[in-house]
Amino acid sequence: MLVKTFSAAILGLDAYIIEVEVDSQRGLPGQSIVGLPDLSVKESRDRVRAAIENSGFEIPASYFTINLAPADTKKEGPIYDLPIALGMLIVSEQIKRSIKDAVILGELSLDGCVRRINGILPICMSLKEQGMRSVIIPHENRDEAALVEGLAVIPVKTLKQAADYISGKEAIKPHKVDIRSFFPPEPEWGIDFLDVKGQGHVKRALEVAAAGGHNVLLVGSPGSGKTMLARRLPTILPPLSLNEALEVTKLFSVTGLLNGKKALITTRPFRSPHHTTSDIGIIGGGRIPRPGEVSLSHHGVLFMDEFPEFKREVVEVLRQPLEDGQVTISRAHSTLTYPAEFMLVAAMNPCPCGNYMDNTKKCICSSFSVQRYWNKLSGPLLDRIDLHVEVGRLKEDELAKQPDGEPSKIIRSRVARCRELQGVRYSGSKTFCNGRMTPKQVREYCKLESEAEELLKSAILHLNLSARAYDRILKISRTIADLAGSADIQACHIAEATQYRMLDKQGR
Amino acid sequence: MGLESYLLGKDGEKLAESYLTSRGYSIIETNFHSQQGEIDIVAEESGCLVFVEVKSYSYRSYSLPVFAVKKSKKENIIHAARYYLYKKKIRGKRCRFDVIAIYKNSKNETVIELFKNAFGVK
Repeated sequence: MLVKTFSAAILGLDAYIIEVEVDSQRGLPGQSIVGLPDLSVKESRDRVRAAIENSGFEIPASYFTINLAPADTKKEGPIYDLPIALGMLIVSEQIKRSIKDAVILGELSLDGCVRRINGILPICMSLKEQGMRSVIIPHENRDEAALVEGLAVIPVKTLKQAADYISGKEAIKPHKVDIRSFFPPEPEWGIDFLDVKGQGHVKRALEVAAAGGHNVLLVGSPGSGKTMLARRLPTILPPLSLNEALEVTKLFSVTGLLNGKKALITTRPFRSPHHTTSDIGIIGGGRIPRPGEVSLSHHGVLFMDEFPEFKREVVEVLRQPLEDGQVTISRAHSTLTYPAEFMLVAAMNPCPCGNYMDNTKKCICSSFSVQRYWNKLSGPLLDRIDLHVEVGRLKEDELAKQPDGEPSKIIRSRVARCRELQGVRYSGSKTFCNGRMTPKQVREYCKLESEAEELLKSAILHLNLSARAYDRILKISRTIADLAGSADIQACHIAEATQYRMLDKQGR
Repeated sequence: MGLESYLLGKDGEKLAESYLTSRGYSIIETNFHSQQGEIDIVAEESGCLVFVEVKSYSYRSYSLPVFAVKKSKKENIIHAARYYLYKKKIRGKRCRFDVIAIYKNSKNETVIELFKNAFGVK
């Protein structure tokens, strides 16, 4: 006798339907799973057996062949436990009805409980696109699955409950959530720009960066507050839209970072990988490629502290995602593309000892070792960083003062307004912020007044700025002008923008 | 194998036979031999062919008796069962492997435990 149930497999951020066929034959009892299962799928034999017995059912004495079709793609993960167990119960007529139209997902624990699984949101989204109407999922995943509208989500806590639902003994109402309830009126960060003493110019630079989606390099001596400032950057970024929140949640869901605490991620991610992270950890990879840090900071901030300490190949792999906003990873098994639209914030010391630009402490580095330290930064990558900001050490009186400046909320409202402006300007093109302008768009949108043009010319002449710096300054001044609500770029905007090209001035 | 444990085994198998009969099993054959191994009891219960392994103990061991059927022993029984089905030309019949454990508890009473469908072929 043969029974078919449906489940799903995930590849990248998409899912496809898997038919779980359970066949029972007379003869010596036993079980085999075919259809390229990996170890965690093969192990389901023991989980299923224990779960069935501990749920008050019986393991029938037959030889079971379980086929996961299509048989030519590798299946991984424990999500087939529940469909296999239900298939075995239907085939042995311990469940009297069959199930045809629902997709079943879930891991079983030995006592028969259904455990939460990873990747529920992307699976449910793909299933809906493929025309499936109902899905049986672990109870803990119910909120995440219910984010997809138009799909009947049946949450089950135990194998027994799932069996009773299919046989019609117990009715389970489809779970529904109000998506708007996930968005708090005021996001809770626990940190605020108000916490930072002094550093007014850095705060301003970060505001400009946030408003235009520019990448930033913070250079400063140890203890000057680079990390503290960078960590507060997400608090001034505009709130995520629903679509952005869904994209971020999908990525966290497949990586297993949702933890079951929140069904929808509504705050921008802030990722701070350690400088020993490998290139695969940054970009993503594996036999079936999984998202790396660049994708996990999608729509958020990727903060790289001690930037020159990162291995060269790690820094170089950032070039493609910074350019394209996505990353394509090829492996023998599959080629996958993950989104990676992030803001890069890099922080570094000015020299190995850290006191190079400090007025109070003496730098003990030789000029050669300072040169070598800076040479670790790759030119092409620096090209993609718009703002270079010096973070100075705080003076004694500044340290003793109470924190001053504006709270994140006020800065965020300015940034959000500025982003809206850019959204209107770039509507219809791929660009969504000033930091992502193409050369053609720079020519079109960054027209200078004559006074501003004169100033920029003299800046290039006297500060010895490169052609590369020219475009960057135009982009930054566009953002500054947007923040000021000015349609044209004026001389004062150019003047501020040239302040953010510190490294060009030093001829590096 | 000492005479004592041989007799213990023989007694155990007798006990097991009467226990199974009382439970509605009909005994077909005992001590079926093949080159790879031996099946203590072949019986039939509600249309299902049952190969029974009998484990007897003079005392209650610390682990469950069912664990005393090790992997190699299981393989021997499976081999023997295959040979049995081949020799008797039985096909398309439901089969299973049961284990019977017989031991004395702390009050010196004989306890018989039956583990239905105790293992299967991989």
